[in-house]
Amino acid sequence: MSDVVVRLTDVRKEYGDSIAVNGVSLEIRAGEAVAVMGPSGSGKSTLLNLIAGLDRPTAGSVVVHGDDLGRLNERGLALFRRRRIGMIFQFFNLIDDLPALDNVALAAQLTGTSAVHARRRALELLDELGIGARKNTYPAQLSGGERQRVAVARALMNRPALLLADEPTGALDSRAGEQVMDLLLDLNQIGQTLLLVTHDERLATRCASRLIEVVDGRVANERTLERTP
Amino acid sequence: MSAVWRAARAAVRRRRLQTTVVGVVTGVCTTMIVVALGLLAASSAPFDQAYARQKGAHLVAVFDASAVTGAQLTDAARRPDVEAVAGPFELANINIAPDPQVPPLSLTVVGRGDPAGPVDRLNLWQGRWASAPGEIVLNQLPGGTSLVTGVGSQISLVNGPTLTVVGFAFSVSRSADAWVAPAGIGALHPTSLQMLYRFAGGTVSTAVLPPNGLEGSQSYLTLREVAAAEALGFVAFLVAFGILGLAVAVLIVANVVSGAVVAGFRHIGVLKALGFTPGQVMAVYLTMVSVPATLGCLLGVGLGNLLARPLLSDAFRNLGAGSVGVAPWVDVVTLVGLPLVVALSALVPALRAGRLPAAEAISAGSAQHAGRGLRVQRWLSGTRLPRPVSLGIGLPFARPGRSALTLAAVVLGVTSMTFAIGLANSLTSYQNAVERFGAVQVEVHGPNLSVDTVRALPGTQHVAASAQLEVRQIGTTDETQLILYQGDNLGYQMLIGHWPAAAGEAVVSKRFLLQRGLSVGDPITVELNARRIQLRIVGEVLQNSAYAIFTDSRTVPDFVPDTVEVQLAPGTSVASYLATAEAAGLQADPNTHVESFIVIVVATASLLTLMLGVVATLGVFNTAVLNTRERRRDLGMLKSIGMTPRQVTVMVVTSMALLGAAGGLLGIPIGILTHRVVVPAMARAAQVDFPSVILHVYSLPLLGLLVLAGIGIAALGAYFPARSAARTTIAEVLHNE
Repeated sequence: MSDVVVRLTDVRKEYGDSIAVNGVSLEIRAGEAVAVMGPSGSGKSTLLNLIAGLDRPTAGSVVVHGDDLGRLNERGLALFRRRRIGMIFQFFNLIDDLPALDNVALAAQLTGTSAVHARRRALELLDELGIGARKNTYPAQLSGGERQRVAVARALMNRPALLLADEPTGALDSRAGEQVMDLLLDLNQIGQTLLLVTHDERLATRCASRLIEVVDGRVANERTLERTP
Repeated sequence: MSAVWRAARAAVRRRRLQTTVVGVVTGVCTTMIVVALGLLAASSAPFDQAYARQKGAHLVAVFDASAVTGAQLTDAARRPDVEAVAGPFELANINIAPDPQVPPLSLTVVGRGDPAGPVDRLNLWQGRWASAPGEIVLNQLPGGTSLVTGVGSQISLVNGPTLTVVGFAFSVSRSADAWVAPAGIGALHPTSLQMLYRFAGGTVSTAVLPPNGLEGSQSYLTLREVAAAEALGFVAFLVAFGILGLAVAVLIVANVVSGAVVAGFRHIGVLKALGFTPGQVMAVYLTMVSVPATLGCLLGVGLGNLLARPLLSDAFRNLGAGSVGVAPWVDVVTLVGLPLVVALSALVPALRAGRLPAAEAISAGSAQHAGRGLRVQRWLSGTRLPRPVSLGIGLPFARPGRSALTLAAVVLGVTSMTFAIGLANSLTSYQNAVERFGAVQVEVHGPNLSVDTVRALPGTQHVAASAQLEVRQIGTTDETQLILYQGDNLGYQMLIGHWPAAAGEAVVSKRFLLQRGLSVGDPITVELNARRIQLRIVGEVLQNSAYAIFTDSRTVPDFVPDTVEVQLAPGTSVASYLATAEAAGLQADPNTHVESFIVIVVATASLLTLMLGVVATLGVFNTAVLNTRERRRDLGMLKSIGMTPRQVTVMVVTSMALLGAAGGLLGIPIGILTHRVVVPAMARAAQVDFPSVILHVYSLPLLGLLVLAGIGIAALGAYFPARSAARTTIAEVLHNE
């Protein structure tokens, strides 16, 4: 539990005249589940993008699992995302042309894993997440909850050190949202490090062990949570 | 209407790349259409067009000035079927001696006040018209071989005055070899009068000719047969390129414009949600694509006219019409037709979008989610191909309509390339066969040539001595050359019969046979220095000349060669042989004749192929831009799960390279078929025959290269959109839902 997976040091991100993240420093340790909350435009999604290597900081350093992201070029960042992190989005971002199984397998196939092996592991994950029976279904025919489970399976495909979730229940009805919360909690309980960005306090208090509140690009508050059942 | 205009203006501003693509593609395609239609228009009856443009004489008649008066000739021409008449002009036959080595040349000179007039308007393409005695204007094709070095040169008459060349003009009617001012003809002792007639509908009537004093007449129908032969050779390939260009241009414009509208479905939904009626939505989209398309169209028409002019002038230069432009109807049709194609291409998807409920339109615009495309993607997921490659191969199946249009453009691009390369190879191969490049490397010229001296030069393998004599074939007025050969047959290819092996045996070209109505086996008689020589045609030789008769040197007694053709021994360089010959006091030249016809055809075909290639590449570029725009979210997601920029580039390029490979495989057979149809048609039109080997120009490596050309067109068109897609900012795309 003492290994630091994410270390942000005085990170600043500017878009023209606007400051999205202003001098944020934080650490996330292996096995932790951290929720980042804050009002719209507070900079929480930008923070997630910086940790995922989807964006670069204007100043400061972002180190994830020992990789200083500021030192990586575009290819290096792609390889970092491939090996170190898994991402879940509010709107799932599945490829509509591919069935569930191939959407999940894709993440491994990009690393050069053969189609047979990638599909085998993808099926295991879909089974574990309870949607193995829907493996040949296209995203358009899946419910919101099912789509998010497929997205979670895809994020876990390469056994990431860090799972990042950006409003993972934001586009789901309450029942599907509950299911996704349970899923994330289960993952964390088996040791998966988790960083959630959310507006949903229930999600934060249920899944996270620590809450970071961001206001105007700064960490306004940070506290440990007692998980609610 | 102002809301429509504002929305369209905003859309144009917001979609700068797409607006630029629509403008550029429309511009380039319009250029292609103008050139293609211009070529097609000019290809239709080029001789008649050149004749009409220069008010060519349908009948040129020459009368004995002592037997008929000018007034009698003018009176006789007053008939309803005579559209216009020019003359009488005084005519003199003069002899000049431009080179002491060659016999004097006979020229027909006419006294004319100016190059214009109702009949036989001359194309005065260099210098000025003769205005004083002692000045002469020569009849010569622009760029053709000249008797003199240029304007200002002197021409000395045999036993007569010296004339100064003040200009060069061309008469499509071939009414004279040269012209002088009316005040200057007297010094040349004219003995005849020339009349030039144009008839209504081009129907020649000899009833206009007074019965007395007629020395000779020439109908334009005879000229048409001979003069148009070379131009007709161009027609077949210009028509092929014209049709290809037209098809590619229309396909690409339709693809680009409909793609622009389809890509705007979401925007259309937003407009409808704001309260725009379906009609207003359509108006916005028509305006949005019409603004850049109209600008492109206007620029393209200008550029097309500029580009077509040298092409047409080159193709039809032998009709002497000077600078040939694009027919005005071509500009009108293009300016009306292309915006119509643009409007129709935009209208179909815009109508569909107009009918869609707003919510559905907002969610539309992404790839189809059903059908064969999905099955293909699924199958590809399980293959051993690298995933970016298999994803790329699957992309075209998501938009089958757009992919089909792009594929068609690539097919036509590869067809043009295949045809052009085949054409160039066939013509080069024909040129090599006619000029015998493999068999004769050096020609030694000059008087008092000794064959033995040449044969004794180090590096000589075979020699053939020849002499060219000016003769007259009995029964015709055409000039004819008798070419006497002694020694080995160095590379002359026989198409029918055999090479002359005895005195009196002769071989001629297909053109010679056709133009004189002869066949192999027929006898002919020629007159040389008032002596008649009987010949029998024993074969048809692969040559262009309509005037050359090749015979054995024993046909004419006292054969004196003026040229010795040399085939060099293997390993002997032309340069070293020329130096050796010069050291031995011989005048030797390398055999480097290249026919200007072939140079022009190859250059024109290359330029047209380049244009078609650019248009096809633009078509692919547009499709790749639209595909990557529509798949921004997918690309962002793929990058978020670790797809590297290189893998994104590979995926997008592969998606188009697949179309390129398919285009190559489909375009090659069509190109070969076009080649098989057009080249023999060109040969028939140009009255030449060739061995079938000249059609077999597509080697396996070449075919492989052509498939690669299709892939190259596609890869080039896709590369920049692919690079741009690889640089997509993931965060922006994925959070911009």
